[in-house]
Amino acid sequence: MSAGPTSLLGLSNPSSPWLLSLVKYFNIFKVSLIERLTYRADFLLGTFLRMLPLVTTLLLWRAVYATKDEISGYTFRQVVAYLLLVHVSRMFSSMPGLASGIARDVRDGNLKRYLIQPLDLMAYLLAYRVAHKVAYIVTSLPLYSVIFWLFWGFFEWPDAPRLYVAYFAALVMSFLLGFAFEASLGMLGFWFLEISSFLYLVNTVNFFVSGHFLPLDLLDPWVAGVLKVLPMQYMAYFPAALIMGKAGDWESIVLGLGIEAIWCLVFFSVARLGYLAGLRRYSGYGG
Amino acid sequence: MGADAMQPGRSFIGYLRLLGVFARFSLTREMAFRGNFVMKVLLELVWLMILLVFYQTLFRGVDSISGWDRYSFLFFLGCYYTLEGVVETLFLENFVEFSDLVRSGNLDLHLLKPIDEQFLLSFRLVDWSTVPKLFIGAGMMVISVLQLGHPVGALNIVCFLGTFIAGVSMAYSFLLILSSTAIWMVRNQSLMELWWLFSTLMRYPRDIYNVTWAWPIRIVFSFVLPALLVVSVPAEVIGRATMNPWWICWMGISALLSFVLSRWIFIRSIACYRSASS
Amino acid sequence: MLGDFSMNADTPIIKVRELSRHYRVAEKSPGLFGSLKALWSGKTRNVIAVDRVSFSIEPGEIVGFLGPNGAGKTTTLKMLSGLIYPTSGSAEVLGYVPWERADPFRRQFALVMGQKNQLWWDLPASDSFDLHREIYSLPADRFSQVLGELVEMFNVKKLLHQPVRELSLGERMKMELIACLLHEPKVLLLDEPTIGLDVVAQQTIQRCLREYNQKKRATILLTSHYMRDVEALCQRVLVITNGKLMHDGALGTIIQRLGAFKQVRLQFAGDQIPVGLKLPQNAMVQGSVVDLSVCREGVSDTISRILEQYPVTDLTVSDPPLEEVVARYFQESTEGVGG
Repeated sequence: MSAGPTSLLGLSNPSSPWLLSLVKYFNIFKVSLIERLTYRADFLLGTFLRMLPLVTTLLLWRAVYATKDEISGYTFRQVVAYLLLVHVSRMFSSMPGLASGIARDVRDGNLKRYLIQPLDLMAYLLAYRVAHKVAYIVTSLPLYSVIFWLFWGFFEWPDAPRLYVAYFAALVMSFLLGFAFEASLGMLGFWFLEISSFLYLVNTVNFFVSGHFLPLDLLDPWVAGVLKVLPMQYMAYFPAALIMGKAGDWESIVLGLGIEAIWCLVFFSVARLGYLAGLRRYSGYGG
Repeated sequence: MGADAMQPGRSFIGYLRLLGVFARFSLTREMAFRGNFVMKVLLELVWLMILLVFYQTLFRGVDSISGWDRYSFLFFLGCYYTLEGVVETLFLENFVEFSDLVRSGNLDLHLLKPIDEQFLLSFRLVDWSTVPKLFIGAGMMVISVLQLGHPVGALNIVCFLGTFIAGVSMAYSFLLILSSTAIWMVRNQSLMELWWLFSTLMRYPRDIYNVTWAWPIRIVFSFVLPALLVVSVPAEVIGRATMNPWWICWMGISALLSFVLSRWIFIRSIACYRSASS
Repeated sequence: MLGDFSMNADTPIIKVRELSRHYRVAEKSPGLFGSLKALWSGKTRNVIAVDRVSFSIEPGEIVGFLGPNGAGKTTTLKMLSGLIYPTSGSAEVLGYVPWERADPFRRQFALVMGQKNQLWWDLPASDSFDLHREIYSLPADRFSQVLGELVEMFNVKKLLHQPVRELSLGERMKMELIACLLHEPKVLLLDEPTIGLDVVAQQTIQRCLREYNQKKRATILLTSHYMRDVEALCQRVLVITNGKLMHDGALGTIIQRLGAFKQVRLQFAGDQIPVGLKLPQNAMVQGSVVDLSVCREGVSDTISRILEQYPVTDLTVSDPPLEEVVARYFQESTEGVGG
């Protein structure tokens, strides 16, 4: 082995530890780079998938408002602001998997422990959902902050602080209402074996009826009137309309909050009664 | 003498006949779960109502959107609804099942049959619950044509049919490529999510993307992944009486190119599946 | 009357030469760190599933592929049906190269895999058979004739119109087999056809396969890790372990070897084995339980002797696990014991 720069660097000897480390670290770098790029590409694609429908909706409404400034009391900016605010409401009130989870537990026989242990299904689920929602809202904050910042000019925030208090109360109650509503649906699992298609149907109807898809005010006045009587509007429309100043004067808002609270009580009772009746029926099978 | 080594290869008519057989069997299977079928049809009706209420709400407020007036837009909607109905009836269920087949290894059973695999895997299942969409969409198109301000000639109809079929073919090729690549590429987004992306793009007239800042979207989705063309071009042919030869030619070319590309990818992916399994 | 396939009885219907199948497996330890490490090191291992296997099968033979799990039996069968490409070597079935998957080839053979079902789950088997007829373009009258004969052979007439999901495992397997025989294949490849079935169902399947082979002179190649299947059906057995073909010959010689020993487990009263019990060298003792291998002929003598002299609370006589037997067989043959 000749002495010389290459052998000093260990390059002439293929089994030199120096060279092996170099190769190893280069490989790690290479693989990590590919991994990060793939992860980045995947992340970008995922974000793009979620952003594109928003962009499309935005462009559609822009095209609609090209020939007219205002439709049924909403300008272009107000419609966009509404759709973004409705996303926020849904962030609070959507309960993915709650109803189907209950039905599945009933079907799989996982409810035995609720018969035996001093454990309440609904309390457990509620606690779980609160934790889940907090985590979800916190992790969504960055993305939503960016979006709201981009569209900041579209919003006309009210001055009165009490409106913000009312808004917050509406959001919290929409969480409770959403929970109670889905839980009530889930209790159907005690009586029907396969409710997933029914749940899907209900969710699709809800998508429209709650105002998630369109501001309810844009609809035919009597249709809008009917829909505003239903409880579903509190899960999307009401909080958004409240903070946009479209829910009427302060008395109407307080009335709306009161009715929302009543609906919460109603659905909590329905869920509870359904639960007790269902458990009785369930244990009757001696499972 | 044993079955039919001597039999000539299946003709085009033979494949059409087989398509009829698949349709018949899918119907039988669907009828075994009548309750579920009814639910699915109800669901389609709910979506239709949402779509129609949306349409009506928009046109209560304005008279035209990006140059599409009330009845042209209705034609567009009908075209969209019908095209989506064709894809959902003939293909979607098959592609969703494809990844299950790959995962469970049951794909092997289909590779053994003396039939072109792409044909078998694309047409095996027919979703009858979305068939009403074809009729309702066609109805919407007919109603709007009767009310359109401009006459619709035979050439328009021929062009329309051609571009409509091209659009269906492009959607098919997209789904085929997505499913095939899932064999050797791990992807976090499901087939349904990516199909929803595609259908979001084809849902509204592409004119709404004629905004300065949206040009990347316009370019990419008209030339690289021509989702914007799939419904817009055929709808324009009758709805706006616009037969732009460049776009029509490009649509024909991309339909052909995407079909060839998707078949090639499919065959390579199956070969990859066969080299990798044990 | 069902047709007869034994036309070219002099040329082999299946020819396999030096067929091999390797594949690369990424080497990784379990868990998250293992996967990360695998990503970094990119090390792969070459797994040899099938190693230069060669054999020929004449028309009308029933040949068994015997071997422990993971020995390469299923892989070989999949190569013969064209589902997998080999890494090297050649094979010819019915004059076709299987992995080219020509349509005429696919019409003339059938592959049945024990745990995969191709029948539509929610529909009666008769509907799946109709679909099969359409896919294989079978002429209607010939089809009804063949179906009638098969239904009688398998004795499933009453079950034809019940949804497949309501049938028992054995009945479902029969329907799967019928579906595969509807196009009168000349070559039938079966992968673990009786796995998971109870003894009665196994025997029925075995009887039907035998009958089919006799009536139609179809060539049957079946894999199994159950000796019973092989004993009931095959005149000839190919033994495969670790991808290598270890033995290709008449069943008789294998039976003698592989069936030569029985595993006997004795449980004695008390905590320990009785004092003074004479045990051969290969016996394994654990507390009051003894496991020994006894040659078939000597089993009853040995057992009765022990039962007379010692307090036995439990006794089991079983076939030794196949891996052990095969290993022992080859150990013996390499040591030059017997032929």
